[in-house]
Amino acid sequence: MKKVGVFVCHCGSNIAHSVDCAKVAETLKDFPNVAFSTDYKYMCSEPGQELIKKAIKEQGLDRVVVCSCSPRMHENTFRNCVAQAGLNPYMFEMANIREQCSWVHPDDMEKATEKAIDLAKMAVSKVCYDEPLEKSYSPVTKRALVVGGGIAGIQTAIDIANNGFVVDIVERTPSIGGKMSQIDKTFPTLDCSACILTPKMVEASSHPNINLITFAEVEKVEGYVGNFDVTIRKKARSVDMSKCTGCGTCWSKCPTKVPSEFELGMSMRKAIYTPFPQAIPNKPVIDREHCLKFTKGICGVCSKVCPAGAIDYTIEDELVTERYGAIVMATGYQLFDASVYGEYGYGRYPDVISGLQFERLINASGPTMGHLLRPSDGKEPKNVVFIKCVGSRDENKGKEYCSRTCCMYTAKQATLVRDKIKDSKVYVFYMDVRTPGKGYEEFYNRTTEKYEANYIRGRVSKITQEGDKLLVHGEDTLLGRPVKVEADMVVLATAMVSNPDAAHLAQLVGFSYDKDGFYTESHPKLAPVETHTAGVFLAGACQGPKDIPDTVAQAGAAAVKVTALLSKDKLETEPSVSVVDQKNCAGCGHCVNICPYRAISLETIQERVNGKTIERKVAHVNSSLCRGCGACTVTCRSSSISLKHFTNKQILAEVDALCLQ
Amino acid sequence: MNPIAQEMQNIAKELLTSGEVTAVIGWEKGTFWYQSTPVMITSAEEADKLIWDEFCQPNLSKYLLDYRLNEGKVAIFVKGCDARAFNRLLQDNQIERQKAYLIGIPCPGMKDHKQAALVEESAKDSVPLAKVCQSCRYPNPVVYDRLIGSEVTPRATEPDFSDVMALEAMTPDERYAFWQEQHTKCIRCYACRNACPACNCRNCIFSDSKSGWISKDVNTSENQFYAITRATHVAGRCVECGQCEMVCPSNIPIMLMNKKYIKDINDLFGKYDAGIDIDTPTPLGHYKLDDPEEFM
Repeated sequence: MKKVGVFVCHCGSNIAHSVDCAKVAETLKDFPNVAFSTDYKYMCSEPGQELIKKAIKEQGLDRVVVCSCSPRMHENTFRNCVAQAGLNPYMFEMANIREQCSWVHPDDMEKATEKAIDLAKMAVSKVCYDEPLEKSYSPVTKRALVVGGGIAGIQTAIDIANNGFVVDIVERTPSIGGKMSQIDKTFPTLDCSACILTPKMVEASSHPNINLITFAEVEKVEGYVGNFDVTIRKKARSVDMSKCTGCGTCWSKCPTKVPSEFELGMSMRKAIYTPFPQAIPNKPVIDREHCLKFTKGICGVCSKVCPAGAIDYTIEDELVTERYGAIVMATGYQLFDASVYGEYGYGRYPDVISGLQFERLINASGPTMGHLLRPSDGKEPKNVVFIKCVGSRDENKGKEYCSRTCCMYTAKQATLVRDKIKDSKVYVFYMDVRTPGKGYEEFYNRTTEKYEANYIRGRVSKITQEGDKLLVHGEDTLLGRPVKVEADMVVLATAMVSNPDAAHLAQLVGFSYDKDGFYTESHPKLAPVETHTAGVFLAGACQGPKDIPDTVAQAGAAAVKVTALLSKDKLETEPSVSVVDQKNCAGCGHCVNICPYRAISLETIQERVNGKTIERKVAHVNSSLCRGCGACTVTCRSSSISLKHFTNKQILAEVDALCLQ
Repeated sequence: MNPIAQEMQNIAKELLTSGEVTAVIGWEKGTFWYQSTPVMITSAEEADKLIWDEFCQPNLSKYLLDYRLNEGKVAIFVKGCDARAFNRLLQDNQIERQKAYLIGIPCPGMKDHKQAALVEESAKDSVPLAKVCQSCRYPNPVVYDRLIGSEVTPRATEPDFSDVMALEAMTPDERYAFWQEQHTKCIRCYACRNACPACNCRNCIFSDSKSGWISKDVNTSENQFYAITRATHVAGRCVECGQCEMVCPSNIPIMLMNKKYIKDINDLFGKYDAGIDIDTPTPLGHYKLDDPEEFM
């Protein structure tokens, strides 16, 4: 006879508002194997846990069911609780009567209560077949990998490194710095972006615990928390980094000009180049798509002029594999392609530009040396129109979400125009003005009051070209009348969107992402920098649109989590893993190919058949790599693999509890 | 004797005499004129038993499983579908390539022995081809060590899903009634499973009476459960040899369900023909980074 204790949680009113918790507890008393059943307002609270512990001791319970929230939320809480009372932590089951019951059936107490009772009965039936499981341990590699070298990655790496751990930054482009290096001034204090970023870049490059791996990408990730084996593709730079001094002779002599990615196509770079003057490392790469040596087999000027003999056209991509204890994803974002809005004429009218192009135009080291000049004719614009929410908050053409940064950077840009061109006028078309940050509302107020920016609430319907002017047609919804503004330049506040390959990278590393390609945190409130994959953390805009202050704060948080992980000598591994019944296994290997964690391999075993010893292949599960997803158990036709804690017998018991009433 | 049968016998004799193989798997004439049944011969004297006629539909590759512990090599005659079945077994790690000697025979299509049983031998020419042969796209062996005869032109280049589409056109109730009528006939003899080259578990779950969710009861509900489970287990691995339907004593259209799975897999994961090669992983048998996951 099993002695199961059932504990039904009200979760304040979260569950109790639509589930009669007392009735659930009362009904379960009569269910087979239930020795004790009760309900309580907050089962996860200290008194709630004490109640469970007391019942285990006083009633002699040998297994426990808590009916409350998702196991994602409190499974560990309650496992620890029953363990403290002397039970094996795996003699415990959770029935989710919140997310899967009260929250989805808020208006029908009778039915919701019935469902909660069913869920509780299923959990009791399953717990009866629970067996004590023991955790095992795996070592921790005390080295971290940060993917992405923007401000998020740089800050994460510096914080990890300052805590005494070695950290590698893998950056896709030739230099670290990211989007922040392209920005001119930062809100709300208007300090120069480069002035606050470049010292951090230098710190990252000179820190004894940080290794920069630029012009490189993550190619493959194997392993698991504490021991990720990451293969990194170091793209062929064509420049020997150990010889190059960054003197710049090569790029000054290179005859091939290519539109600069850093200047968003508004000026030219050479085929051998560093993305920007403050690049780190300040050593060039050859753009093989455009270099004459690679496209036509001619030229070779850079090689001839290089005083250090650092140019090497034969360098090839190099694959290196390194082991890391933790991975931080800091891959940043891209900007929405505004040409989707044909009515704005982005891409058609040269003087309709994106916010980031504006940053380059107003930046002292930008293509116009900081003089705000129109791309079309190089004249100074007097009337500048800003359009917000280009791609944000628009389910039809763009993204449903708010990009969070545009209200502030548009206010900042409006301020900068007014500051630089005294006789200018600025107009801002907006849907709402959102300024939820320290000093943000004050900044916005200054923009409208001191800098006299004209804010017009309404959408722009179209932009037309009239001579050398842009005619912006819109509506002022506050006054309820159409407006027409003659502009010299229009700046679009384009949405922040995920990188085009964000989903691919997430699949490669093995964690989840949302419909917009942003990386999913483990819990939106309580675990905002963790992913569902142990050992993989998030920093910055790859998790969702955010500004620099939030990004830096999140980077610090991610670094603390990484440090906490790396400071352990060994990690507990989940005992809920797959096991193979080798005598039944036919060795077909389907599970090997189906396993997303590469945890299964075929091994040779010996068997005695008809008096002879034969060898045959069967599946074998590496329990350190297995994450207990169960994909193998359902792909095995002969049911030769089973998942501990989720055995077929247990699942069938749950089904029976539901169906045999 | 037809020249192909003559050559089969000669090759068998040669291979057995030289000791290159320890056994040869082929066909011999069965009890009735419309039956050609598998035969395993181990000596050159027995080679005369081997025949080749329009009833050699039995797929021989599965019999290689009986020789898994055999130390020498086994020779086997393979039509298009036997060769695909051979690849399937290789891909499932059930046999070793170097332990088999494949003698390929391009297949003109086999007659439906169940139809033949209804007429006299004199009316042989009027017996139609087996259903799977009528739309066969791979009559020529896709793998062999030696080929007898010359390659033939396939009867079809595209899979024929007309019967599946008729099934899909039914309402769910009609479809349910249709399958219920079919599966009521099932006597759970498991001949379909035993003949299938994709069924190669050491222990079939339907032989395990303790599993808790599978029953050996012969009733419509359990029979349907068996039929669906069987079709799901061979999904993505069915080589369309039609053995299941050929051996079914209750005339259940088993291939219809298999083909429904093939069509669905083609639609969901791209066109795939099982057993054409051993390098392409089966669509349901591997994990891919870009697997569709619309449900997420």
